Amino acid sequence: MSRPAVVHGQGSCPIAPCPTATDPGPRPLPAAAGTFYPALTKNQSAITSRLTQIFTEVNFVAGGPLVKTVGLGPRFNSNSCNSCHAYPAVGGSSSPTNPLFGIYQLMGATNTMPYFITTNGPTMVARFPYLSDGVTPDGSVHQMFTISNRTDAPGCTQEVQPNFTQAQANNDIIFRQVTPTFGVGLVELIPETAILANMNANLTLKASLGITGHPNSSDDGTIARFGWKAQHKSMMTFSGEAYTVEEGVSDEAFPSENDETYPSCLPPFPVPPGTNKTKGVPDDRNDTGEAPKTGVNFPGDLERFSLFMRFLQPPTPVAPTTSTANGFAVFQSIGCNMCHNVSFTTPASSIAALSNQTATLYSDLLVHDMGPGDADNVTQGAASGDEFRTAPLWGIGQRYFFMHDARTNNIVTAIEDHYSVGNGVYPNSEANQTVINFNNLPQTIGPDGNTQQQDLINFLRSL
Amino acid sequence: MNPEQAQLSKRKWLKAVLPMALLLLLAAASASFLPKSVKGSVTCTPSPCPTATDPGPRPLPAGAGGFLKTLSANETQIEPSITAEFDRVHDVIVTSPTDGGLGPVFNSNSCASCHAYPAVGGSSPPTNPLFGVYQYNGATNTMPSFESSTGPILEARFINTPGTTIPDGNVHQLFTITGRTDAAGCSVAQPNFTQAAADGDLVLRQVTPTFGDGLIEVVRNSAIVANMEANQTQKASLGITGHPNYSGNDGSIMRFGWKAQVRSTLLMAALQMNVEMGVTNETYPTEINQTPGCLFNPVPETSTNFTPGILTEMFPDDRARTEYFIQWMAPPTPAKPTAATKNGLTQFTNVGCVYCHTTSFTTPPTSRPALANTTISLYSDLIVHHMGPGLADGLPQGQAGPDEFRTSPLWGIGQRLWFLHDGRTNNIVTAIEDHYSVGNSTYVSSEANQTVINFNNLSKTNQQDLVDFVRSL
Repeated sequence: MSRPAVVHGQGSCPIAPCPTATDPGPRPLPAAAGTFYPALTKNQSAITSRLTQIFTEVNFVAGGPLVKTVGLGPRFNSNSCNSCHAYPAVGGSSSPTNPLFGIYQLMGATNTMPYFITTNGPTMVARFPYLSDGVTPDGSVHQMFTISNRTDAPGCTQEVQPNFTQAQANNDIIFRQVTPTFGVGLVELIPETAILANMNANLTLKASLGITGHPNSSDDGTIARFGWKAQHKSMMTFSGEAYTVEEGVSDEAFPSENDETYPSCLPPFPVPPGTNKTKGVPDDRNDTGEAPKTGVNFPGDLERFSLFMRFLQPPTPVAPTTSTANGFAVFQSIGCNMCHNVSFTTPASSIAALSNQTATLYSDLLVHDMGPGDADNVTQGAASGDEFRTAPLWGIGQRYFFMHDARTNNIVTAIEDHYSVGNGVYPNSEANQTVINFNNLPQTIGPDGNTQQQDLINFLRSL
Repeated sequence: MNPEQAQLSKRKWLKAVLPMALLLLLAAASASFLPKSVKGSVTCTPSPCPTATDPGPRPLPAGAGGFLKTLSANETQIEPSITAEFDRVHDVIVTSPTDGGLGPVFNSNSCASCHAYPAVGGSSPPTNPLFGVYQYNGATNTMPSFESSTGPILEARFINTPGTTIPDGNVHQLFTITGRTDAAGCSVAQPNFTQAAADGDLVLRQVTPTFGDGLIEVVRNSAIVANMEANQTQKASLGITGHPNYSGNDGSIMRFGWKAQVRSTLLMAALQMNVEMGVTNETYPTEINQTPGCLFNPVPETSTNFTPGILTEMFPDDRARTEYFIQWMAPPTPAKPTAATKNGLTQFTNVGCVYCHTTSFTTPPTSRPALANTTISLYSDLIVHHMGPGLADGLPQGQAGPDEFRTSPLWGIGQRLWFLHDGRTNNIVTAIEDHYSVGNSTYVSSEANQTVINFNNLSKTNQQDLVDFVRSL
């Protein structure tokens, strides 16, 4: 994979003149995100602690302390939603210290750590763009770890981790980092008409910048909007997929175990007396079958995860300063906002806290060609191998890693990485002209003591 | 016959029959877009034409419907609630967490209106319910020409976006809420189906029954693949291959819908609520049509009811209720075997039907005990196969190509009124013949061709026994 060598601040960049701005780094804690809407109803608020408990629960293979915490594996990337969606608060993205080192050999598991996971690096998942023939598209997540030899998976010894080193040698591995979930309840509800109206606005300006973009679509024909390629429609489909793909907890949306090769690694497992059994697939489901609660039928974890994420408020930006206010103006004048659309408004919602809210997300929720430099060769729905969703920028002021594969922790480098010249496979990045505009901003120091470039960076780190 | 010989004789045979088949195709194309079939006098390709006759659907009482008998006491307790949800007629305005939400565009106003026969949860009834729905409550819809009062319920998909060559593939709902007394001020036009048909963009699909779906969804992927890889010699000699439609989400095998495009009862329930009725839900929370003046409810229209229950937990939404209704439906019960139907099963196996219409799978251990370790006689391999230009609908879904369809489960077919994805025939012998289709420059030959030839060459008795067996399911 050829990537432009960018060393920020050292005078190297894909298109001269190189930027002079520096990244002040993530704003320190306390977290400016992770709280629930104050406007939740009393009944909704009453269950938020239970929802948090479900999102932060650690799943075992079998025999865990709670009926809802079994079903891990056979393959998994982590054992809890919260381990990866962690920073700057529960529901967020990668924390500065990689949680996977505390998980991969838990309870006797004999996993080795893949080469691309480092203790202070981002939490990432691996996908293989092609099958072993190197031609047939694959694109699916290949989980890093297995439950082989875990003490809570008695008898399961045969599962083997994928050969990531070989995949790397074959140039057949790509990475995706964790996306944060703050404010997703609003994003779910943004009308299709608003997304399309925004897409069709400012066409002259967009054409002059080389910006087009289009929606990714869902099974019901509406616009999908979550994930690096906008491949998910809702928190329900996202939770359903992530539970089985990331943790191996099969659920009612995707009721198969993620590897059925070895019967000894499939439920039911024998468990110590007094602990909870796994009975079989799906590992998690609505409690109806067991809960002796007259007339009440309890939702499964998918519904609970979805409600948890839906109830999380968007991140709160810091109060504007002269520099960030100027940076916001520059952000708009050079064209960033033609994709990183400032805001949408939600319609009336059956969850009143989400009704008629301005979601200042800095995304158009469309996918755009990002050129060979970003391309990961994975097609998802209508998003092709070099197309990515405009990542919402809210909360980016406290984020540690940037771009789909977390290739940098420097936000200036991240901007430069939006630039990529087309080749025989993929067209130019739609962001090229905007990056050129950014790099060509005048280097004079303004009244606030900063260059316009620096103001823009300060603005981004204020979000 | 070894595979090579079979290949040779097939080629010879193709040479002889191809011109005739092409002529017939041309004739069919010029006549009407739905080939006619007349019960009891079946025209066919290839000759010899079958002599068997379709005894017709077995009369009521229904051999299907009702919930699994093995559900727990707690599950049984909510059966009335989930049945009420499946039966519910939706109006436009939401007045409680369990009603309303219809439109702005829709195919019908209730799950049970289409999933009706021979029992709630099934497929099209003898009288098309849409004629009671389309102008209900003042709606000003016209009835698309492809619906008839005694025909199958058909929904429409467009291959391309109208007037373009941009792939579409979505359902285009038959009706709108325009004119309804509970949708004052809304004006949204029905799609132009006549134009879409003239452009060659119109695809029709009939209703699939839901009986036994909860068992189908838990069958292991590995069992489906093992069955696909079994009997390779026989399959090769018959021209049968097939492949799963894998989910782009988790890589598991999808198994519901005409092209095996939906993975689970959860996703099916959620998708259908929005696509068929316009009821937005927590899985598909945005309206498909967002014409201003036609949006009457907060979205999603059905959502979790937060009224505190025991232990301050919450009640599920209508999507969950619909899901459990589908998931807990018992499989159809076949008629008691007779000497004829027993021989029919033997012939069904001998001619090769069984290599796609796999007799049974066994479910694995499941967290819902009622679904565990059960042999399900569904007569499907749950994978998709090339069916030739005659059945091809030009519409890819996931990894299912435009001429590929899921092997339809045959359980319950003894009481079904219409066959094949577009409901083109009510005669089960014609349905068998329609599995035959010679390839053209766009599509390969149907994988069922040799099996149809084998069927047509059976003795009269064996043919009839096979048909009687299928009608016993």
